Amino acid sequence: MKKVLIGGIGNVLLGDDGVGPYVVRLLAASYEFDEGVELCDLGTPALDLIDQISGKDAVILIDALKVDAEPGAVLLYRKPDIVQHSPAVRMDPHSPALVETLLSVDMFGIAPADVLLVGISSGTYDSGCSLSPSVRDSVDRVIAEVLSELDRVGVGYRRREQPVESGIWWTRVERPFPTLPI
Amino acid sequence: MSKRITIDPITRIEGHLRIDVEVDNNSVSNAWASCTMWRGIEKILRGRDPRDAWLYTQRFCGVCTTVHAMASVRAVEDALKLEVPLNAQYIRNLILIAHALHDHIVHFYQLSALDWVDILQIPKADPDRTAKLAESLSPWTRNSRQEFKAAQDKVKAVAASGQLGIFMNGYWGHPAMRLSPDVNLLAFTHYLQALEYQRKALQVVGMLGSKTPHIQNLTVGGVANAIDLDSQGALGMDRLEAIRLLLAEVVQFIQQVYFVDVCAVAAMYPDWFKIGKGVTNYLAVPDLPLDSKGESYDLPGGYIMNGNVGGAHFFRTSADKEFRESVSEDVTHAYYEGKKPLHPWVGETEPQFTGWTADGKYSWVKSPRFNNEPMQVGPLAQILIGYAQGHPLTRKYAELALGKVSAVAGIHATPDMLHSTLGRHAARAIRAAMLAELADKHWQLLVNNIAKGDTAVFNPPVFNGEVEGVGTHEAPRGTLSHWVVVKDAKIKNYQAVVPSTWNASPRDQAGNHGPYEASLLHTPLARPEEPLEVIRTVHSFDPCMACACHAFDPSGKQIAKAKVL
Repeated sequence: MKKVLIGGIGNVLLGDDGVGPYVVRLLAASYEFDEGVELCDLGTPALDLIDQISGKDAVILIDALKVDAEPGAVLLYRKPDIVQHSPAVRMDPHSPALVETLLSVDMFGIAPADVLLVGISSGTYDSGCSLSPSVRDSVDRVIAEVLSELDRVGVGYRRREQPVESGIWWTRVERPFPTLPI
Repeated sequence: MSKRITIDPITRIEGHLRIDVEVDNNSVSNAWASCTMWRGIEKILRGRDPRDAWLYTQRFCGVCTTVHAMASVRAVEDALKLEVPLNAQYIRNLILIAHALHDHIVHFYQLSALDWVDILQIPKADPDRTAKLAESLSPWTRNSRQEFKAAQDKVKAVAASGQLGIFMNGYWGHPAMRLSPDVNLLAFTHYLQALEYQRKALQVVGMLGSKTPHIQNLTVGGVANAIDLDSQGALGMDRLEAIRLLLAEVVQFIQQVYFVDVCAVAAMYPDWFKIGKGVTNYLAVPDLPLDSKGESYDLPGGYIMNGNVGGAHFFRTSADKEFRESVSEDVTHAYYEGKKPLHPWVGETEPQFTGWTADGKYSWVKSPRFNNEPMQVGPLAQILIGYAQGHPLTRKYAELALGKVSAVAGIHATPDMLHSTLGRHAARAIRAAMLAELADKHWQLLVNNIAKGDTAVFNPPVFNGEVEGVGTHEAPRGTLSHWVVVKDAKIKNYQAVVPSTWNASPRDQAGNHGPYEASLLHTPLARPEEPLEVIRTVHSFDPCMACACHAFDPSGKQIAKAKVL
């Protein structure tokens, strides 16, 4: 049994930053997964991320990105893409710590074999609970990327007959059931 | 559909703390603490159901989710004068204790220890000598030669690879680093072990709160943990016993490792008991309630003005009348509209961004004030106020810490020395040792109360007319208060005055520096282009925001920029 974490990162009170938690909860509502797959709305973890990913065989993280790309663009990063950015002098426990986390689990010898970051180029980070239209429209594409990564690492999933309650309490869900994939 | 590109940097947004210091003759002559991000999350809460507020507020912060949930339910309960059943108080207390122990361990080891510990000295250490030294300091069973050797090998491997990885950006070899190779190895080995024990503390939060991050078990009026000693599905003896065992391991790590390491490292940097004093007004609120009305507490609160510890004032309850009436927020130097300081119940959060100006507005953080004075909050405030009150548990561990520092350093350490950068670290270790002892007590209180046949966990809230309340929690970083006005069962106004706002506040209308700013003045810098000393003092507060540090010479030319993120 492969242990896989599908984690949504982001603050659901800051507009498009909430896309990670949104996607993870939607996935959990629409699909069933093999035993060993854990779906988690991680919020905005810093070094706590080490605890979340340790002991996993594969980790798929979904997060909003501040990048020079059209809002709603979906970009994929593997571990070497991420850790090539030097970690900063840490001033506080709260900074986003993806680079530090991946380097730390290496040092501790508990690194997952596969790491994929599915990033969504985001438009607005103003306080507010809803996603902007272009980011909301990217959700099905994000889900497709997550499922194709599960295919790649050899983990099964099944679309539910009927979606269950999504647990997305902070905003209205316009399309509770993804249209993709078959 | 998707394309793969590489970009720099990969970041999400967060609040960013920026520190500007002016350096004159290798000494800090002026300082500004500013937050560079506006969030304004409080406005989202207006018009919502007060019973749901805690779900939103625990998203204020990615790491301290629990504390904002707790302060929020307490605020609404205070507004409704709603009692909280004993079981709920004890369960909440255990969650708060476990969260704080996790937080303090992470702060010391993962965040700030490497300000004092030089990783690149570790290959020169002798694991045998280190084991002997460790044995003389503590009965910790994992202080073996094998543990030290394994940790040293990890550093050697990293150093040999030429890829420093996680240690890439430290100020290694800085002249302000003064530990021997053996002590560096000792502390680093515990840095590795700390990761396991902070996780056990977090597991307790998850077991009682049903998940972490973002606990799910709170409700206005109590908790949602069903109690049934014989049921596996509810909170029963099986789960309580598992919690007790986890806490026991964490408590042992706190008392035999963290507390000892802080005293030992402090003893080797005695001059840092003279640096970083700053604002000596201190504020803390009572916490860990022992009854359903919130009339008695295990941890004391009060305030101290101008370092006059003997003249401390004490709060009877966590929502003491003087506390309720004396808090205001000044926006003279913050990017908000408004002229005069406002009480949080009538507080406003209307942005007015002007750009950073040294003598004008320069921060998104407001300036909270108590009777118009800046206050330092956090473990140091908690310990000094408890010490002043003669609080037995505070005295016990404060004296133990000062005794250990005195013995190792060969000096006479006094409570007066705690007004300093190292004092804040020592106070945090003292607080952690106190909380460790209280973890056991509150577990026992909960079990005893359940054994009496009491399984109540919730009193239903009833809303009527317009009411206001304040919910406080003496969080790991200090006094947290949520202020709510409820009208016709909807939130009319909501303000959170958080510990890092007190400590990171900019100047106020009277020109008083905030605590971070004041603590940096006169700090000596060995190498202004590597302002390790500034980072040490800022870290000693356990700042709650991402931080960038800039050093300028008096002409305004930037001489160092320790960019973070």
